[in-house]
Amino acid sequence: MENTLLIGLSRQIALQRELDVVANNVANMNTTGYKADGAIFEEYLMPTAQAAGFQGADRRVSYVQDRATWRDFGSGPIRPTGNPLDVAIDGDAFFVVQTPRGERYTRNGAFQINAQGELVTNTGDRVVGDGGPIQFQTTDNSISINPDGTITAREGSNSRNDSARGKLRLVRFDNVQQLQKDSTTLFSAPAGAAPQEAGTRARVKQGSIEQSNVHSVIEMSRMIEVTRTYTQITAMMQQFSDLRRSAVEKLAEVPA
Amino acid sequence: MRALHTAATGMIAQELNVQVISNNIANMRTTGYKRQRAEFQDLIYEHVSRIGTQTSTQGNILPVGIDLGGGVRTAGTPRVMTPGTVMPTGKDLDVAIRGDGFFKILMPDGTFAYSRDGSFEMDAQGRIVTAKGNVVQPGITIPTNASAVTINAQGQVSATVPGSTTPTVLGQLTLTRFVNQAGLLSIGDNLFTETPASGTAQDGTANSDGYGDLLQANLEMANVEAVTEISDLIAAQRAYEMNAKVITATDQMLSATSNMMR
Repeated sequence: MENTLLIGLSRQIALQRELDVVANNVANMNTTGYKADGAIFEEYLMPTAQAAGFQGADRRVSYVQDRATWRDFGSGPIRPTGNPLDVAIDGDAFFVVQTPRGERYTRNGAFQINAQGELVTNTGDRVVGDGGPIQFQTTDNSISINPDGTITAREGSNSRNDSARGKLRLVRFDNVQQLQKDSTTLFSAPAGAAPQEAGTRARVKQGSIEQSNVHSVIEMSRMIEVTRTYTQITAMMQQFSDLRRSAVEKLAEVPA
Repeated sequence: MRALHTAATGMIAQELNVQVISNNIANMRTTGYKRQRAEFQDLIYEHVSRIGTQTSTQGNILPVGIDLGGGVRTAGTPRVMTPGTVMPTGKDLDVAIRGDGFFKILMPDGTFAYSRDGSFEMDAQGRIVTAKGNVVQPGITIPTNASAVTINAQGQVSATVPGSTTPTVLGQLTLTRFVNQAGLLSIGDNLFTETPASGTAQDGTANSDGYGDLLQANLEMANVEAVTEISDLIAAQRAYEMNAKVITATDQMLSATSNMMR
């Protein structure tokens, strides 16, 4: 009997979740290396009554439920910053970052150097190179990062030759949708999704960062869609409620 | 609803972004000023349904999950250490660095600070000082009766004293550089100090070992580009407005819910 209300409720919950996703995208419109999220919904068919004694079979009731959030892994606009430690990836790959929770992957290449002279992200997690963390000497200057990720620097006393400081490790995944967001623009890979070396599929660009790939127009139109649908569902539920109320009133009118 | 708080974090972040941009614009004509940039990061996610959860006894797993994000936070405001344009001023004690390096300045408390602002003056004792009166290292004194002070590309300061036809070398300005210039701490007055992130100061001489060369009677202007700042400002303002719109949308949905029961 309450199916209309319950179907409406399932849609409202799903819409609230979708607005949460939109709100997070809009909030991260200027976050370096951020990848936009989207919500996917699916139909959930309510199992019907199984008793044989009914005249006609029960009609199946379908609810909506949110099944997943997917990620738009399209690259964001690459913006030059002029900072030698800013690196953007051109192509399908991720930087590897060592965090206390394990290995994480990111497209955010706004790097810094920590007190030990290691290359770190702006939350202080070490960036992984081909042979462990990338270590600079205190006398290094003129750091250059080549398109293949090789990092060279000039030592203070020896200004003529570049000495190698390691190579940024770039990895890719067969199914990027398996990656899970882990805050601070990091992604974690579930067990079984092993990263593969990116090889020639990706190049890096020094002095640039990859901006958020959130399209503001799309987010705004999604938001309008969500609010309008939500209001419609609410109106529908209200009408049903009125209908029921008048039914109760009419049916209870006992002729005098 | 989470969206309200998420949008609020977005508004806070954009407010800070506008603050950083306005400081850049305010310092557009500050000698040796280096622009800042606000860096943002996403907040933690609630994994409503986790990727890889088993969905049947046959070992089927969820290929995608539901992650709901909590908004944005500011990660930092690093400085962009690109060179600014060099402007001729015609003043003897104005020096610009063309390339890598900072002037080393002795602070009143005995520590050193570093600056790209080379608009120097002479104090009562004839020492080369900054506009605030702090001595530029290594502390060069120009005799009061000297004329024609020259500073060459290597930073050698020389002057002609009366009774002599050849200029006398008075000293050589120290240049300092750091592994990570963006890690320097700004303390105002166009000065920076060393931090663990910047690496230790490496003193050297101009025009050698990769240090920049000096240009007398020139000053390095701020590296703020008006067009970039204004377009950033527009982007920040729009982002702020859109976050506000999300709050309005959430509010509409909540009021629709609360008006449902009559």
